[in-house]
Amino acid sequence: MSSTFSGDETAPFFGFLGAAAALVFSCMGAAYGTAKSGVGVASMGVMRPELVMKSIVPVVMAGVLGIYGLIIAVIISTGINPKAKSYYLFDGYAHLSSGLACGLAGLSAGMAIGIVGDAGVRYGLLPVLSLFLLIWLVAMVDTVIGLLQVKCSLLLCCKEIHLHSNLKVIKIAGPLQQRLLSQFTKHLLEFNIFFSYCFRMNCVEPEPQ
Amino acid sequence: MSGSTVGDAATWSHALVKISPYTFSAIGIAVAIGVSVLGAAWGIYITGSSLIGAAIKAPRITSKNLISVIFCEAVAIYGVIVAIILQTKLESVPASKIYAAESLRAGYAIFASGIIAGFANLVCGLCVGIIGSSCALSDAQNSSLFVKILVIEIFGSALGLFGVIVGIIMSAQASWPSKAV
Repeated sequence: MSSTFSGDETAPFFGFLGAAAALVFSCMGAAYGTAKSGVGVASMGVMRPELVMKSIVPVVMAGVLGIYGLIIAVIISTGINPKAKSYYLFDGYAHLSSGLACGLAGLSAGMAIGIVGDAGVRYGLLPVLSLFLLIWLVAMVDTVIGLLQVKCSLLLCCKEIHLHSNLKVIKIAGPLQQRLLSQFTKHLLEFNIFFSYCFRMNCVEPEPQ
Repeated sequence: MSGSTVGDAATWSHALVKISPYTFSAIGIAVAIGVSVLGAAWGIYITGSSLIGAAIKAPRITSKNLISVIFCEAVAIYGVIVAIILQTKLESVPASKIYAAESLRAGYAIFASGIIAGFANLVCGLCVGIIGSSCALSDAQNSSLFVKILVIEIFGSALGLFGVIVGIIMSAQASWPSKAV
């Protein structure tokens, strides 16, 4: 009996849990980033109300993390369909690790955004310091998000596993190269936008007291 | 041991396959509503205590800042909606099919769906509560700040919506085997 039990009927447990991990941990990171940066913005806004709308940048970036978690969770949960394609334990574990990768990376990115955003907007009275912090924030977030996207796409693209043959063929799909290229251009575009944004913010003249 | 390549590695599966899918479904539905309401309550008490304290010196802020409390309450309503949707997905199957692969999968889908909605709403309620309290405090200092901090609060409340959306998408996967024995 135990020699023929393969456990594949419990594989969706791990798959769905992976989708859950992707969304829940990303939302935790997004919530932490939003809340901590928001508190910093509110504190700073009492002194400098005109800088509040410019300081919403960390909040928006934290919100984007939640969207990434949503995308990965939907991709994973629609990929669990044993009627269309047989769902082995391998697929379940792969989805679990993919979801955990996405979620925990999002959690750490969100915590980083929260702490750096809070400190950055509070010290906005020192333009040079805040510029440095914002750039560092952008670089860190982009690195983490890029890592999690690549890792997720790697895991989810491992499509062909032949269990019963001696030669295990793992096919990583061609879209991976396209994805890396699109990420690079996305990073360039974001850096451009944020550099111009930071320089504009730097040029705010302090009001005569 | 024997010819199967995964039989010995499937020790988690040996345990999981003995647990009824209705156990997982029930836990998922309970978590969906219970943890969501926990998040909403946590947010409301964080916002409410700051609001009441700040209103001592600035009574004008009370009526506007009730919006923060309403955002937290919405999180609890999301949890109720998801729990009601999930419990309509429960069906009874004949006793011979309770541990079939398809019904196990349906049970796991409802469980994960409930966990997603519950914990996403928990962190959303916390986030909105913390921002709401700082919104009340900064509004008491300078009334032009209220609308600006409210924008941040709207970003925060979107997280609960993500949880609801994914929970509902995942609950569509919960298809039990048909009653024909």
